[in-house]
Amino acid sequence: MAQDDHSQPLCVLLIDDDPQRATELSAALDKSRYQVKHMLGAEVSLLKQVDTLQPDVIIIDIESPSRDILDSLHTLNSFNPKPIVMFSEQEDTNTINQSVHSGVSAYVARDVSTTRVRAIMDAAVARFQQMQSLRNQLQETQQELASRKIIEKAKGLLMENRNLSEKEAYQVIRKMAMDNGLRMDQVAKNMIDIITTLSV
Amino acid sequence: MFTPEKTDISIGFMPLSDCAPLVVAEKLGFFQQNNLNVQLVRQNSWATLRDKLLAGYLDMAQMLAPMPLAMHLGLGSSAQDMTVPMILSYNGNGITLSNALFAEVQQAGDESAAQLLSEPLSAQRLSIIAKERRSQGQKKLCFAAVFPYSCHYYQLVSWLQQGGLSADDVDIRIIPPSGMVQALAENEIDGFCVGSPWNAAAVRAGIGATVIASCEIWHNTPEKVLGLTRAWQAQHPQSLFAVIDALKKACQWLASKPNRFEAARWLAEPEYVGSSLDSVAPALLDSCLTTEGVDCREIKGHTLFQVPQKLNQPTPEQGIWLLQQMQRSQHLPRDTDLHQVIRQVYTTERYDDAPR
Repeated sequence: MAQDDHSQPLCVLLIDDDPQRATELSAALDKSRYQVKHMLGAEVSLLKQVDTLQPDVIIIDIESPSRDILDSLHTLNSFNPKPIVMFSEQEDTNTINQSVHSGVSAYVARDVSTTRVRAIMDAAVARFQQMQSLRNQLQETQQELASRKIIEKAKGLLMENRNLSEKEAYQVIRKMAMDNGLRMDQVAKNMIDIITTLSV
Repeated sequence: MFTPEKTDISIGFMPLSDCAPLVVAEKLGFFQQNNLNVQLVRQNSWATLRDKLLAGYLDMAQMLAPMPLAMHLGLGSSAQDMTVPMILSYNGNGITLSNALFAEVQQAGDESAAQLLSEPLSAQRLSIIAKERRSQGQKKLCFAAVFPYSCHYYQLVSWLQQGGLSADDVDIRIIPPSGMVQALAENEIDGFCVGSPWNAAAVRAGIGATVIASCEIWHNTPEKVLGLTRAWQAQHPQSLFAVIDALKKACQWLASKPNRFEAARWLAEPEYVGSSLDSVAPALLDSCLTTEGVDCREIKGHTLFQVPQKLNQPTPEQGIWLLQQMQRSQHLPRDTDLHQVIRQVYTTERYDDAPR
């Protein structure tokens, strides 16, 4: 990630029943790019809060019942995933960080020294962004493969039904896409639908 | 005699009435009799229970039946070879609607609340309301389940589909069981599918109507299972035998209704479910509270800890069926080899003849 990103302010939603820890954490992150908003773990309107605040990072206690709500942000695709940092009661968080790759970007020991908080947050955000960009790349590649397949299929149908050469078929699809301001795979899909409906 | 490789064993559980086999095995000394020192560790969320099992902080856990399958496939967490050697409970969930939504359902017909609640409600009654809301551009009906990979989620979807509604006609969100009653009271949601004691708790609080029990949507399907990693099973076969033997004795003991009332008293204690006995007991005694001022409904087999013949043995058919539900909700890719997954997760080893 570019160095410039470090100057951008980030909104942190902290879900924790322990007000003292919340104060400590806010203090530790004071004068950094992280701006902490605190809410109690038992509040059910968590999704609403996430929706209105649009936090850049969420910090939650591993023992909070609301954990399952956050987990569903990653599994139900109607929500945008967010980097999640989790307080764990275990002192040794290496094991859990190494063995568990759920939606959590980092597990940190509950009594982590305030001086390290900022570094942990930076690492978690960077890791999340890396994962997201990998995920996006994968999605783009899959999408590209899928559209190529559709265009190939439409080309084949055109060649067969209209007696066109491969190059001519390609140009027909491309022209129609340009004329209608659509992507080539969208045009190809429509063509396949029409040709197959007509030939039934 | 059992000669477990490891005697100190921690088992994760969630504070729900169907953790009864674990509590009974502890209270009646079944674990101890098998030379085990079991610690039951209460968890607050399914995701954390899962992560702790994967990190080795828990040896095994009471899990939602679809959970070990999701973990094995790497859905929601890293993929880990899992095994399910035992079914801990069957059925036990229910769907509760808010008073406001139930009143709307009632207005649509001319039956009294008592008539409507004397039998399971068809979701067809909701489809009119849901479609009206959509055509008027109002907010969709919003339901909650406890976890994406849960029977609750898939039962809710099944019930809606049986009534001609698709999962897209409503919003489904995830709320922990302990947050359901408050969410319903604050009109955050219009209904939920949850396990005991939370349906009864909503009715006792006077904020909802329980309209159907899960065994009336799916008949005698696994609800909670014992889940652990394959690696743990391979390293501690005798310990696993000993745990399963103790849990089976507990399930056998729970087959008696009078015993289930005793179990309900233990479950109500703060270190287990920590809810009042009047919410914990009904589901265990085949009673479904309906709504304030209306009679309870008797539902035979509301919550079962064994089923005829198969008892607690997981069968491949059950596993395949669960995977198919996951597929229907697009939680699984279409091309997943279901049989292969079940061959790997549903252990073929039978735990009937534990060594003595």
